[in-house]
Amino acid sequence: MLEKETTLYLGPQHPGITGNMMIKLKVKGDVVTQAETHVGYLHRAFEKLIEGRNWLQSFTLLCRFCVPEPDPMELTYARAVEQIEGREVPPRAKYIRTIVAELARIQSFLLWYGGQSGSSGLYTLGQWSVGDRNYILDLFEDLTGARIYHMYMWPGGVRRDLPEGWVDKAYKTMDYLEKRLDDYNKLLFDNAIFQKRAQGVGIIPKDKAIEWGVVGAPLRGTGIKHDVRIDEPYEAYSDLDFVVPTYEGGDVWARALVRRDEIKQSISIIRQALDKMPGGSYYNRIPNPMKWTVPAGEAWVKTESVRGEIGFYVVSDGSNKPRRVHLKGAAYTHGVSVLEKILPGQNIADVSFILNSLGVCPPEIER
Amino acid sequence: MSIIDLKGILTPMTALKQIGKQPHTISFPDEQKDISPRYRGFHYNDLEQCIGCGNCATICMNEAIDMIALAGIEGQAGDSGLRPQIDYGRCCYCALCVDVCPSGSLNMTQDFIKVSPDPFDFLMVPGKDNPEAKEKLSFTADLDTSLNVFDRVPMRELDPEERVKSFAEVFLGYNEEEARIEASRCISCGLCTENCPVHMHIPEYINAIAKADDEAAIKIIYDNNDLPEMCGKVCTRRCEDVCALQVRGEAVAIRWLKRYATERAENADMIAEIVNPEIREPNQYKVGIIGAGPGGLTAAYYLALRGYNVTVYEAHKDPGGMIMYGIPKYRLPYESIQKQVDYMKKVGVKIHFNTVVGKDISFDEIYNNSDAVFMAVGLQDAWNLGIENDDAKGVWSAINFLGKVNSGEPVDIGKRVVVVGGGDVSIDCSRVSRRLGAEVYQSYRRRIQDMPADLEEIEGAEAEGVHIMPQTIPTRVIKDENGKVKGLEYVRAEMISEGGGRPRPKPIEGSETIIECDAVIAAIGQKADYSLLPEHILAKLEMQKNKIVVDENRKTSIPKLFAGGDAVVSGRNDAISAIADGYAATKAIDAMLMGS
Amino acid sequence: MQENILNQLKKVFKIDGEIKTPMRIKIVADKDLVSSILLYLKNQMGFIHLNHMSCVDWIEDNKFELVYIVWHPEQKQTVLVHTFIDRNNPVMENIDTIWDQANTYEREMREMYGIEFPGLIGAKEFILEDWQEMPPMRRDFDTKKYAQETYETRPGRENARDVREELMKRSGEELPDFAKKYSRD
Repeated sequence: MLEKETTLYLGPQHPGITGNMMIKLKVKGDVVTQAETHVGYLHRAFEKLIEGRNWLQSFTLLCRFCVPEPDPMELTYARAVEQIEGREVPPRAKYIRTIVAELARIQSFLLWYGGQSGSSGLYTLGQWSVGDRNYILDLFEDLTGARIYHMYMWPGGVRRDLPEGWVDKAYKTMDYLEKRLDDYNKLLFDNAIFQKRAQGVGIIPKDKAIEWGVVGAPLRGTGIKHDVRIDEPYEAYSDLDFVVPTYEGGDVWARALVRRDEIKQSISIIRQALDKMPGGSYYNRIPNPMKWTVPAGEAWVKTESVRGEIGFYVVSDGSNKPRRVHLKGAAYTHGVSVLEKILPGQNIADVSFILNSLGVCPPEIER
Repeated sequence: MSIIDLKGILTPMTALKQIGKQPHTISFPDEQKDISPRYRGFHYNDLEQCIGCGNCATICMNEAIDMIALAGIEGQAGDSGLRPQIDYGRCCYCALCVDVCPSGSLNMTQDFIKVSPDPFDFLMVPGKDNPEAKEKLSFTADLDTSLNVFDRVPMRELDPEERVKSFAEVFLGYNEEEARIEASRCISCGLCTENCPVHMHIPEYINAIAKADDEAAIKIIYDNNDLPEMCGKVCTRRCEDVCALQVRGEAVAIRWLKRYATERAENADMIAEIVNPEIREPNQYKVGIIGAGPGGLTAAYYLALRGYNVTVYEAHKDPGGMIMYGIPKYRLPYESIQKQVDYMKKVGVKIHFNTVVGKDISFDEIYNNSDAVFMAVGLQDAWNLGIENDDAKGVWSAINFLGKVNSGEPVDIGKRVVVVGGGDVSIDCSRVSRRLGAEVYQSYRRRIQDMPADLEEIEGAEAEGVHIMPQTIPTRVIKDENGKVKGLEYVRAEMISEGGGRPRPKPIEGSETIIECDAVIAAIGQKADYSLLPEHILAKLEMQKNKIVVDENRKTSIPKLFAGGDAVVSGRNDAISAIADGYAATKAIDAMLMGS
Repeated sequence: MQENILNQLKKVFKIDGEIKTPMRIKIVADKDLVSSILLYLKNQMGFIHLNHMSCVDWIEDNKFELVYIVWHPEQKQTVLVHTFIDRNNPVMENIDTIWDQANTYEREMREMYGIEFPGLIGAKEFILEDWQEMPPMRRDFDTKKYAQETYETRPGRENARDVREELMKRSGEELPDFAKKYSRD
């Protein structure tokens, strides 16, 4: 190993970086000795802008907090406003929201497949999974009118009812995806390259994980079973059967296995929700949005996203605009303090590989 | 794991089985992707249907929407004449503009492909720049999915059986919670203000109510209406006819909200304290006002605020004119008018009651002693039925009948009454007659939907048991040997349309029917009585069809004489028009005397 | 269980507290007590996970409200610790020795609200770069005004009109000043 320490800037425009951020690495040879996260390339001041917009207008900005997975943002904000206001959500809306949240999870996992396999040089799978993701985006397009930024779940329920034929299409898409998962396994998990790259790399110690603020798949990859859908069930999750997969090890490999198993669970959840879909209204109407005021109060609401637990701290001063909307995304800890702790000792080539496995999403850090 | 992991190397090779499979992609532009029926692409705006309320521009948090004037689109009642233009460099396709469009004219389409090197090409006027997109509407908002609240908060009212027992007010008024909810439906576009003869600041006071600031609402209301509580109860509410929400739903209850706000000030002192108007230093000018109806009172109030020495001459013992003597007390209680007039007296309006101009004081005396005169004397004479025996005992004119009842004089109309007419006054007569205990029939020449009366009033009358006989034309009053009414003969009519226009009633030969009754009330309109004016004035005063001709400043053909109210040539005979006349005359008199 | 948590905290510290929902306990404490409370929650009571730290600008009261949200992985309970600090002299104790990730939050608050955390290590600039204005998340920082002054607007939209003004111009309505603040914004 070389004794001389050099500084290496990874990003902000590096293909291995999961968005626009930069990691300042101190390296000796090809081993990282120190890492420091630098963000600021994507700051759009959404939280500030929201303070100048009314309660409904805000929800069109919120979904843009995270590009790969906008839906949990909408959902969490809607739930926070509902909690402050005491607004009931009809059961049908809860089921639809559950389905949307799980579809969003699957599409984000498929994107992750692309990133995780791509950062280990296995490009074929990325092409496949991103292609298959489009079938889910088709479902979104039919349901919400848009493919990425759906702006569909708003306080009180969802924006439109399920269109005709959508349920059948959703079943068919689930059947197709389930079959594809075998192919994915063969290409990624059975692949000697991936196994060698992933096992024992980027380890998060189990005894420190919770204290460090690790959540989601990275936490479950250390063998700790924590999932907001179980701990604080929201929407229709308490009516549905699913297991929360955990793996020991805390490395990239364990996190990948957790995600692999979670896609299966999500498919099962969607099927159950489609089976049990209640009738009735999909929306508990809000007043005229321009004059809609929310009583003074605050709420801290959490949702399980792909990257792990995300939360919104929402404060109302009783006016027609939010006083404060503050997002805590999983990447806020994963991408900064956790990353800075686990990178030292790792190989330079593994940095972006680890970034992908932590699900770091820079727009979520700086918002 | 061995050094060479054979399985781990061979299994991924299964990817090779995909070779030769059809790709998932399509080749554009040869093939078109199926676009969802709900797709949020470029907008399309139906320019005919659009009312230019600007709600789309208001909700757009990206400020992508501007309201602009387009050639060929003129503003009119209920249409600002402006249309949205969208900057697609800013639009985020959230479609909130679609969801808040009250008329449903703005929708999104399946079009989303546009390529141009010029950024200005992305500044588009939907509907004008893409007329062909009308066939590709996708994301739309119907009554169910729209964010507008199309249903009005219902007004609580007395039970019909209770109502006919007394002259208690029929409508109970909104309580605070109801008012806040109703006020929050308003989208604050202001289309209503243009149709209001006085141009009251409607979006502002409604917004104040929505924000639970009733005192601000009262202050805004009194800015250009001195009889708002009266208007809040009985206004003809032309504002509601052009409400943006009325296009697809129920108009905001502007009248009831005004009533709610003004009733928060329970007495004249409270009004004075809340409105706390700026009163100018007294000046040396004197203004004489003839008639203490809504027109006269309005001119008196606003001239008094501007420092003029104002004196009102009123023939009756109480103020209000037609709103005191013509409108039944179950719609507008006596105390309500008194309260508003008491407030006006506080700011310096002087009223001489029981003073008939032309008898107790001459017109010339007022005219010569004043720097300006405003005359709003109303229509005091009724038109006769113009049929045989229309002078029989028991044949009433509406104005006479309502005036007597409202003055508290005893009125004998017997057990069964026939009211003739279809306007608001006729409905008033019918409902008053019900309260006097009579069985009431109302004869109207056309169909019920043709009646000029307020639909709410017609429904109220029917609920109280008034029998409306549409398409009937009275032909003869039948009297007994004492010259008293015994019945009314009428013929049935059929509606015929001749060369467009509204259908005309045509009597059906041989359909004569007689209905027995003890009284007939003719509510078929009124005419002016100018006996107060001396000959030399009448000779010079320009008139048209028995009404005084005035210009836009309410100035007559005679120097320093202004006129307003029902007795001038104008649009409609209602209290709010009289108030508008009084307000306009105030500004004109002020400008004439002080120089503008 | 929630009552036990609240009672235990009340026994040790001088705080106000209430049970907000079956999963949320809100306590309000003096700013000097916050780090002791957090340390106690973490080491004695098992609230080992720091969910979130937030700041709310109550400019009317001249206060910043700081919120620390901690979570108990076994009991699944959440405690929100609220405290208020002076907006004119915004100094708060650094807690990144209790939870390392608090460092990130505190750096952001320092930058966005101008709150000082004595002893805080980490680059001054976190999200912003070469920022000369007041900390931008403060309520009195006007984003729109800043944007208008800093960036130029592309031409082409000068023909925009206000619906209300257009109607007033046509009808001759005169809107008094005291009514204007109730117009559509």
